[in-house]
Amino acid sequence: MSTTHHATGGADLASRILPADLRSNPDSRLAARLAACREQGRPALVGYLPAGFPTVEESIEAAVALGLNGADVIEIGIPYSDPVMDGPVIQHATTTALANGFRVADVFRVVRAVSERTDAVPVVMTYWNPVLQLGVDTFAAHLAEAGGAGIITPDLIPDEAADWFAASQAHDLDRIFLAAPSSSRERLDLVVKAASGFVYAVSVMGVTGARDAVSDVAEQLVADTRAAGAQNVCVGLGVSRRAHVEEIGAYADGVIVGTALVKALADGGPEAVGALARELAGLA
Amino acid sequence: MSQQSTGTVLDTIIEGVRADLAERRERVGLDELREAAAQRPPALDAESALRGPSRDAVQVIAEVKRSSPSKGALAPIADPALLATAYERGGASVISVLTEQRRFNGSLADLDAVRAAVGVPVLRKDFTVDEYQIWEARAHGADLVLLIVAALTDEQLRRFLHLTHELGMHALVETHTPEEIERAVAVGARIVGVNVRDLKTLDTDVRTFGRLAGLLPQDAVLVAESGVEGEEQIELYASHGAKAVLVGEALVRSDDAAATIGSFRTAGAAARARRHASAAEAGAAAEEAASLRGAPGPYFGDFGGRWMPESLVAALDELTDTFDKAKADPGFTAEFQRLSRDYSGRPSLLTEALRFGAEAGCRVFLKREDLNHTGSHKINNVLGQALLARRMGKTRLIAETGAGQHGVASATAAALFGMECVVYMGEEDTRRQALNVARMELLGATVVPVTNGSRTLKDAINEALRDWVASVEHTHYLLGTAAGPYPFPAMVRYFHEQIGEEARAQVLEQAGRLPDAVAACVGGGSNAIGIFHGFLDDPSVELHGFEAGGDGVQTGRHAATISLGRPGVLHGAKTYLMQDEDGQTLESHSISAGLDYPAVGPEHSYLHDIGRARYEAITDTQAMDAFQLLCRTEGIIPAIETSHALAGALELGRRWVEELGAEAAAEKIVVVSLSGRGDKDVATAAEWFGMLPDDSAEAELGEKGERL
Repeated sequence: MSTTHHATGGADLASRILPADLRSNPDSRLAARLAACREQGRPALVGYLPAGFPTVEESIEAAVALGLNGADVIEIGIPYSDPVMDGPVIQHATTTALANGFRVADVFRVVRAVSERTDAVPVVMTYWNPVLQLGVDTFAAHLAEAGGAGIITPDLIPDEAADWFAASQAHDLDRIFLAAPSSSRERLDLVVKAASGFVYAVSVMGVTGARDAVSDVAEQLVADTRAAGAQNVCVGLGVSRRAHVEEIGAYADGVIVGTALVKALADGGPEAVGALARELAGLA
Repeated sequence: MSQQSTGTVLDTIIEGVRADLAERRERVGLDELREAAAQRPPALDAESALRGPSRDAVQVIAEVKRSSPSKGALAPIADPALLATAYERGGASVISVLTEQRRFNGSLADLDAVRAAVGVPVLRKDFTVDEYQIWEARAHGADLVLLIVAALTDEQLRRFLHLTHELGMHALVETHTPEEIERAVAVGARIVGVNVRDLKTLDTDVRTFGRLAGLLPQDAVLVAESGVEGEEQIELYASHGAKAVLVGEALVRSDDAAATIGSFRTAGAAARARRHASAAEAGAAAEEAASLRGAPGPYFGDFGGRWMPESLVAALDELTDTFDKAKADPGFTAEFQRLSRDYSGRPSLLTEALRFGAEAGCRVFLKREDLNHTGSHKINNVLGQALLARRMGKTRLIAETGAGQHGVASATAAALFGMECVVYMGEEDTRRQALNVARMELLGATVVPVTNGSRTLKDAINEALRDWVASVEHTHYLLGTAAGPYPFPAMVRYFHEQIGEEARAQVLEQAGRLPDAVAACVGGGSNAIGIFHGFLDDPSVELHGFEAGGDGVQTGRHAATISLGRPGVLHGAKTYLMQDEDGQTLESHSISAGLDYPAVGPEHSYLHDIGRARYEAITDTQAMDAFQLLCRTEGIIPAIETSHALAGALELGRRWVEELGAEAAAEKIVVVSLSGRGDKDVATAAEWFGMLPDDSAEAELGEKGERL
């Protein structure tokens, strides 16, 4: 059983919470891909699509289109009944997926397709209860077997992640925790030490959704996260255009696009996803 | 008379003290002192002042000190009375005045000036070596004297302490070593100080207090003396159990002594609260022996915690910190009590329901939370959290609501505190509870209908959380039940604990004994945890939580979370949930919107798991039958939520009659949390009982065939 640690003072937060043998996986597939992008002098393009939207088959085609048109990393989201971090566009998509009969096990089919049919590195983005119900270790085993590289955990903080630390080590998966503009230095230190692959920097305080301008707090957060020791920092929430990618790519290792891709999929199907990916990647 | 020989700095000081004393004795005889002492009003109760208002409070003894042997001149104190007044304003519990003149540059004149200026107890701080000085202290209006164990024989110590008590004063008995502590305990010292400065060498080691803490008598008031430079030392001392801290130099050198005292008290109280919290955790591990009351979180057994986005952790940390400090701040607790009394109308009554009891077959007492302002227990929590929001400088409150009771209470508090208020409410519920929507709007709140998901309470919470993530800087999320991420479950319970504490005292007074059972309805479980809390450590009292069974637990249309759910994570806590095998939250169903929630507060999950409380489902039909029975037998229209507890009480009575016979059952006592009144439910009830004409406005409110 994990425990929550909130007391101040004493040993620092990270050493109180994290297991002593936690590895940072500097050579993981995800870390290697980010390093390769850095060598090419460009940010990694990280695209998000929910599994099962509008159907499992179409979500597979959309994710593959994303991977074939310039995305370096693909986040496959698990639709969940209570998505507190998502804005209306993604909520609508995941609600539709659930209404169309999405089951958690379907996510592994999408991951496998991305892994087998594209060069992109697939990871899963999920609220924690579905993982908890399948069993943290079982989920990790299935994900690794399907070719997944790690999990992004929007509502799991390192403080509660004891089981995930064990499972991620056992199955060689990356732990992508979020860092927020409101995170204290002590918590950034915790997040950076707990994470592997990359740290997901939330560029604005708020839920997901395309915005006209990306908040300037993002650059500061990336700098603070690097100062805390992070190798790779990717920026998410609010990216919809190539200009955003260039702007964020100037200081971040990867640029995360979600809502804009989901909207493209809703409006124009997998082809539209591919087209937007090419534009965002600067290939169009 | 023999004097303890110490062969050190202390000896030299005492030599001077004796010489000065001889000189004063020449001028003022003991008889004259006795007469002056008799003229004084009785000494103030310094012991109570130092014990403070609550377990976690740390008191400050603030010292008027011009110089010291170790540091020389500290500060030119032109007006000791003015300084003492600032100390008092800052919340010092005792003012200490140095009267030794050679090394400390003090005087009895300073003592006189301070005594005349303040209303709190005054300590005459000197090297007491003769009874004369004790009489002298009283004659000059002191309430406390200092007895330094190292400077006295056992016999002197005993005699001096006796005289001090005889004169109505208290003594701060100062120690520095294990042996001195033993001697202080042997003479019955009630206020024991540990001076971290060695008077023989003048060396200071702040760790001394912690090293000796284990030897100190736990029933005495424990005072840490010397070594304070800032909050850090206060926290250190408090973390080792100091109840009061004597501070001199840090205050006379401070630009704002009053503010410094305030910050010291707050820091000390937080440290004591943490100390007690960790003691409680360790105690919980010792299982049965430990008290279940006041569980601090974040975890209740395997339940609770913080399963939340990182974006909100800073806000939750701030809230935890503010809450910890507020609990220990007498000003905060006094303000909360004042509002509860003068605004909500607490304490709420305990009414024996004789006619309802006759139907139940046992004695039934109703804890009348329905009589609170706004008509339910919700106001307790709302006032507490609004005070915390103000403390944090937040100007906007957001809340979720199901039936509208918590939304109305939140809108009420926002109006009272002059804050902006936004209430998220499932679209379904805004339609079914149109009257409460109007109430909230009349109070100045904005009601936002939530159209996501199942459009009920859980989705309102999701939407409130989304708002909070984006607005956390100036917004407080006023969560309405004892659920959610830490610190909410423990904090919401804290504000409702008065329900159980009052009920326990009231039933003891009215019935002459503890009840056999306590019954409450459970949605998130805030009224239940509040009333349970008063009885958690009374093993003879059964605790019963009644969940919403909706159409019946076998139908799948219910909200019987603990009865039929399994552990998972929702809205920030690990707890029992209604969920499918994938972990997707299931929609709950109940005639009562307030119980229509697929999770439950984590402390209830824990009480269920350890078997301390029992949770059962009550169907809509059972609840509405009990609703009608209370209306007809007692003239009280209960909320439909509450009716689940009433139905539960009827069920308990039925079982007692069955098991014990009618005569024995009639002696059994159940206390029911009457958590809310039913004005808001009149349309629903009228619809249920078929009282509405087809063309009435209320009937039109619902869709065809729908139970409103």
